[in-house]
Amino acid sequence: MTLAALGRLLILASLLAATTGAVLGFASGAKKSLIGLQWTRRFAYAFAALMVLATLVMERALVTHDFSVSYVAHVGSRAVPLWVTIVSLWSSLEGSILFWGFVLGIFIAAATLLTRIGHEGEMPYAIATWLTCGSFFSFLIAGPANPFLTVSPVPLDGPGPNPLLQNHILMVAHPPMLYLGYVGMTIPFGFATAALFRGRLELTFLRLIRNSLLLSWIFLTLAIMLGGWWAYEVLGWGGYWAWDPVENASLLPWLTATAALHSAIILQRRGVLKGWTITLVQASFLLTVLGTFMTRSGVFNSVHSFTQSAIGPTILVFLAAVLIGTVTLLALRIDSLESDGSIDGAVSREGSFLLNNLLLAILTFTVLIGTLFPLVVEAISGKQMSVGRPYFDSMVVPAGVALLFLLGVGPALPWGRASREEIKRALLPPLIGAAMLTIAGVAFGARNPWTILTLAFGGYAIQVTVSAMWKAGWKARTTRAYVIHLGFAIAIVAIALSSTMRTQTEVTLAKGQTAKTGNYSVTFLGTELRNEPHRMSSVALIAIAKNGKAIKTLEPRMNQYEMMREPIGTPDVYSTIGGDLYISIASLEESRASLLIITTPFVSWIWFSVVLMAIGGAISLIRFRRVAPAVQPALIDKLETLSHTP
Amino acid sequence: MNRTVLIIGTIVTAALVGVLFLGLGHDPSHIDSPLVGNPAPSFALKVAGSNETIALTKFRGKPMVVNFWATWCRPCWEEHPTLTAAAGELGDRVQFLGVVFQDDEAKILDFMRQRGAAYPTVIDERGKTAIAYGVGGVPETFFIDANGIVVAKYDGPLSPEQLQSYLAKVLTP
Repeated sequence: MTLAALGRLLILASLLAATTGAVLGFASGAKKSLIGLQWTRRFAYAFAALMVLATLVMERALVTHDFSVSYVAHVGSRAVPLWVTIVSLWSSLEGSILFWGFVLGIFIAAATLLTRIGHEGEMPYAIATWLTCGSFFSFLIAGPANPFLTVSPVPLDGPGPNPLLQNHILMVAHPPMLYLGYVGMTIPFGFATAALFRGRLELTFLRLIRNSLLLSWIFLTLAIMLGGWWAYEVLGWGGYWAWDPVENASLLPWLTATAALHSAIILQRRGVLKGWTITLVQASFLLTVLGTFMTRSGVFNSVHSFTQSAIGPTILVFLAAVLIGTVTLLALRIDSLESDGSIDGAVSREGSFLLNNLLLAILTFTVLIGTLFPLVVEAISGKQMSVGRPYFDSMVVPAGVALLFLLGVGPALPWGRASREEIKRALLPPLIGAAMLTIAGVAFGARNPWTILTLAFGGYAIQVTVSAMWKAGWKARTTRAYVIHLGFAIAIVAIALSSTMRTQTEVTLAKGQTAKTGNYSVTFLGTELRNEPHRMSSVALIAIAKNGKAIKTLEPRMNQYEMMREPIGTPDVYSTIGGDLYISIASLEESRASLLIITTPFVSWIWFSVVLMAIGGAISLIRFRRVAPAVQPALIDKLETLSHTP
Repeated sequence: MNRTVLIIGTIVTAALVGVLFLGLGHDPSHIDSPLVGNPAPSFALKVAGSNETIALTKFRGKPMVVNFWATWCRPCWEEHPTLTAAAGELGDRVQFLGVVFQDDEAKILDFMRQRGAAYPTVIDERGKTAIAYGVGGVPETFFIDANGIVVAKYDGPLSPEQLQSYLAKVLTP
């Protein structure tokens, strides 16, 4: 049997396993059948195994250059290095959908395995929901986006994957991380749907939703950062975020998931916001489907877009079906998720959580509108337009700064109703941190009012966070979550400083000529032509020196790939803790170079602080798993209160 | 049944799916060239493989297809047979002209020897003509009517069907 035929067979089998499991799951949920649940689990494992096998078959075809498989003929090449061949699985549409199915399979199998004990009422519905999504992706792979078609006559060689993928090593990490984040949202979606089907949400079940959501959130956070970092290292304009529709598509579920993670805390503590939390979880998943549509329908223009394809309508039908299903289920069941608690005191920890949710909801809506607006205008008036940075900056910056404010004030406030004195005692000391960071920033040269406000709120938040961690001790659950807060506060401050204090100059240098920018001097030494099997590069050799002391030679280059209409410029960066010197080529001749020289303070802090956020997420997750599932958090709270009462 | 959720959910669903549905089939990389409707910028460039120079004005009175390409561009290779076939068929009614930029003459001649040439190709040595036409990459094709007005522009390799439909625009007065 050829690899193509084997692949097709495995995919068809996975479609069968997923649909059967989904139908069986919903039926056993309705009939409360334990044997049905057992069989549903088996179908979930079967689906996962078949998806993994199909992906391995594709990898084998790629690595052995089996050009009779359509996807290999489309993206394979004997000229590219092995690592490029391996990662070309996600370099083009069909392969990326197969990779999606692979990740989904692993998530479903892991979630099914980890929930094998307990929640027998909910689990059939959860697994059935996951397998419904699995059916859809199996269907896509079997039909509209089939990578396993047979090519005849078999070509001797292929064109190789998209040059952007070959151009930088970060491309190995960014897409899979994003898939982990996106596909991972399916799991909390399944749990939340199960809670709706059951019409109740127990706190132990909430923990499953929260943990699985947090896991995807970690991946999504890292993916967004890696994407920004990649853009910075590759695209040559010295920035890391462009409000590109697809960047927005990854930010949207991140915003709703962040909101859900916070509302889940309130739900755990006070028993309120059940329906709202479930809605946010559902929205996070729906927004990942929207993001999938955006990258794969050819409707949006972006560095991320795959070529025009026929699967846009199919994904849209899926999105519409999931939306209708979710809305119907929510409308039918949201009232039965009775709230058994209440929130008192607006100026309290709970109050700040509510505000946080409100702000995140506003942000989501703002970004969504900005992203879709050009489509609306073109549909109505036929005119082309784009919504750019001015809109997003003017809307998102104030909301972001307000979030940072809450990040400081919220955790400082006590839970529940507090006296004026208590509030004062909580809120005043961190003003020291605010003042210190503001003074440091102004001394460094910050003048933009939003930046100064960010420094003040950032300093406040950092002091609140660190002192709360100190007080609670390094082992406490909250301490671990506060690592995320610390990372976020540093990230926002670094974003503010790096975006408002960057300098940009364009110089044209003859061979041997030097230009000065800030403390740096930049000398154009000449050009070099490098031939590699898959590309041809013109490299500019630029010697850089700081305060007269030679540091290193940077090598920004223009790469010409056979398949591309335009050469791809790759900048080169000299990174330090205090800031980066970034050089990209505007035009290059043998004895002349026009260069774009950018200095950006504290930009590398963004990457590190986001990693810190992910670490915070990861350690909170580990901690959570250690809590015995039989003990309800509300009970722990009560016990804590009792033990504090003299 | 919670009516508020149902109403808000229905509105959001209908709006979102509606907008995305209308967006289907729209090509975001298609940007109207400001040249469309205006006279084609004139040029006089050296013909590949000879010392002769061809000026755009020479072809006034005949509709034209001006194709910007280069030998290092793989999509141009794909497009080449489509253009040569059409030029062979319609050569007496439409003037085809290739403009090569950022390339060297030996490679161009080699390419034409191997893959055939049905119409003249000129060399845009310093890329000035490409800049005047706002060429962002190759291949890009401009359709110019008999009066020297740019009627349409296409980015990327043309398929035979696309070429036919664009040619119809310059051939009908």
